[in-house]
Amino acid sequence: MMQVVHLRKIFNGREVLKDVSFEVRPGETLGIIGPSGCGKSTTLKLLCGLLTPDGGKIFKRSEDIGLVFQGSALLNSLTVRENLALALRSRKLPRAEQDRIITEKLKLVGLLDYIDSYPTQLSGGQQKRVSFARAIVNDPKIILYDEPTTGLDPVMSTVIEDYMIELERQLGAACIVVTHQFSTWTRVSDRVLLLHAGVTVWEGTPSEALKSENKYIRQFADATKEGPMLAGTT
Amino acid sequence: MLERWFGNGAQLLGLTVVMFVQTIKYILRGEIDWWESVRQANIIGVNSFVVVGITALFTGFAMSLQISRELMAFGGDTAIGGVVALALIREIGPITAGVMVAGRVGSAIAAELTTMMITEQIDALKVMRIDPVQFLVVPRYVAAMWMMPVLSVYAMFIGLYAGIEISHAAANLPPETFLDSVKQKILDRDFAVHFVKSWINATIVIMFSCAIGLSTRGGAEDVGLATTRAIVWTMTVIFIANYIVTALTYSPRP
Repeated sequence: MMQVVHLRKIFNGREVLKDVSFEVRPGETLGIIGPSGCGKSTTLKLLCGLLTPDGGKIFKRSEDIGLVFQGSALLNSLTVRENLALALRSRKLPRAEQDRIITEKLKLVGLLDYIDSYPTQLSGGQQKRVSFARAIVNDPKIILYDEPTTGLDPVMSTVIEDYMIELERQLGAACIVVTHQFSTWTRVSDRVLLLHAGVTVWEGTPSEALKSENKYIRQFADATKEGPMLAGTT
Repeated sequence: MLERWFGNGAQLLGLTVVMFVQTIKYILRGEIDWWESVRQANIIGVNSFVVVGITALFTGFAMSLQISRELMAFGGDTAIGGVVALALIREIGPITAGVMVAGRVGSAIAAELTTMMITEQIDALKVMRIDPVQFLVVPRYVAAMWMMPVLSVYAMFIGLYAGIEISHAAANLPPETFLDSVKQKILDRDFAVHFVKSWINATIVIMFSCAIGLSTRGGAEDVGLATTRAIVWTMTVIFIANYIVTALTYSPRP
């Protein structure tokens, strides 16, 4: 489980996150959505410890966190096998056990044939799937996804979304997905948090989002210019 | 502008010192990826042999030509070998290797690490609880500490070969006379200073390049800027450090 209370972050005197609170339970996926620059990725970096908050608290039941980066962030000098082995390094497992886990995770994302390939030899979608395998190689209790389907074609986006649904089911992890892709947050999320200018402006389920009269979620879901979001303030 | 320049410089120096201390701690604790260090030794050292060799050869040619010409005017032909060797072992060998490794390897390290920063590969390491200093800096430093003295000695021998050839061609000096003069002039202390300088150069190239690479953010343009910054800083500091070591070890004492 993960709980976030009144989270704040300031960059160069600018308050990027003003007040964000939420909770995610095991086996649940929370979608954090919003326009570019609203503080989605900053929230994710605070959750995984890459940034330190300027206010508020983050409570985590486990420090085992898997993060799927927007650009995959695989180490190009290492093979797919070595990239996954890197994530297992701290556990100091015997080689055979390490190979077994890597094989299992690569099978899960359908890329076992590419185990000895380098990331540059893979397509964008394949790199993303390796990034998934790396994120779950330690069976984390919390999985974070940063724009997992951005830049992918619709078919590959559906494949990735299916993996996310399957992983939540198999691992029972608390998942947080940061996205602005309509299909991703409507298909994958159990609950949705809409951020705008560093604050939560709407919260509910995807089906509620599609029916809500809230002007923020209405504008975001309908992808229309009319609404409060282009004004840049709440 | 000057304030910003000094501010950035002070920040980089601070980061470099912190990174150096962290690297030494990992090395003292024996937390070294030996396989990666060997791989880096190949990149840093073996792949630099050609460029260091060519530079040392032509520096040796030019220097020997000047020295031969001046000493011949005073009838000091037999001292040519000793003077050339002194210049090579005390200054030219470590400086040539240091500058060429700074240009070839330091810039590549800064570009590689900056790209890793921009593409979130460094963030990925941190999320996996892997310290980028241990994973990226330590093997490069260990490799440079192995290879820089080798390259410096290699540059010195190539320079000596150039000296023998030029003094034979320009001053008609037999190689045996050249080498006798070398043996008479070179002391054990010269070799010690030679190695100290090459280790200092290795430290400067790796620490500044890594510190610049791991502190740069932004886009493709910043990769180019980081590369330039790494070359300018490493070469400048190499020349300053070289003078300080020379002043501390060879200054005439009253």
